[in-house]
Amino acid sequence: MSNISRSSRQRSESTRISDDQIVQLVSKLRQLVPEIRTRRSNKVSASKVLQETCNYIKNLHREVDDLSERLAQLLSTIDADSAEAAIIRSLLSN
Amino acid sequence: MRNQSSVKQEFLRKWITGLRRYSCEKKNMSFFERKKAIKLSADLAMASTRDKTTRWSQALIANNTDNVFIASSSSSSPKKSSSSRSRNMTTLMRRSRPTRVKSAKKEMSSARCIAKRLMEKRTRKLKNLLPGGESMDEGCLVAETLDYIQSLRDQIEVMRCLVTASQLIINPS
Repeated sequence: MSNISRSSRQRSESTRISDDQIVQLVSKLRQLVPEIRTRRSNKVSASKVLQETCNYIKNLHREVDDLSERLAQLLSTIDADSAEAAIIRSLLSN
Repeated sequence: MRNQSSVKQEFLRKWITGLRRYSCEKKNMSFFERKKAIKLSADLAMASTRDKTTRWSQALIANNTDNVFIASSSSSSPKKSSSSRSRNMTTLMRRSRPTRVKSAKKEMSSARCIAKRLMEKRTRKLKNLLPGGESMDEGCLVAETLDYIQSLRDQIEVMRCLVTASQLIINPS
């Protein structure tokens, strides 16, 4: 696994994700998602972080899909223009 | 950090507007059509809350404008240009990928090569997951990813609320 140490990156390409960005990604992800486990050490595996991020986004997509399906079942019994929709809106805005 | 509750409210408002349009346009939708409409209007509503400040949201809107069957003019211009533009850029980026250089120290370079290849592979994977990610340069990829993740989380939270509220309305027990 690649270590984030500047000496090993002799050949720095501008098209690659920089170390700083990986560190930023890790710290932000830790804030957002406590479940994401990254190695508790100074060395952070950049590719592992990317992998975790990808998995997390895939999970989020799946969740959106699942919720859309449930709503499709539920909302078929509610007319969008009816009073119930107004009630839902007011419930959610509080 | 943007104000999360106002973002969620804006998302909800726009989402319901979109849903209304669908229900006016098409009566008697199949389950699959309804699900697709709900998901699409949710995605578009969330993307529009970003107000063109992020690339993923612009790409999402551009890519999906063809699919939206709104009750507006039937001669709406298809946004093929932007999607073909991103496709061309993808081809360009593929062609311009740097070739690997073999160094004298074979063991170290092979480890470095493997690590580099892994990074490239996973960066590509991330780009495929992000709307419009293929044509993004790595410089903005991380910021876009974080914004996209936060937006998805907000979207999911609001959708969950709606599921709960709908369940309560249907079964008020």
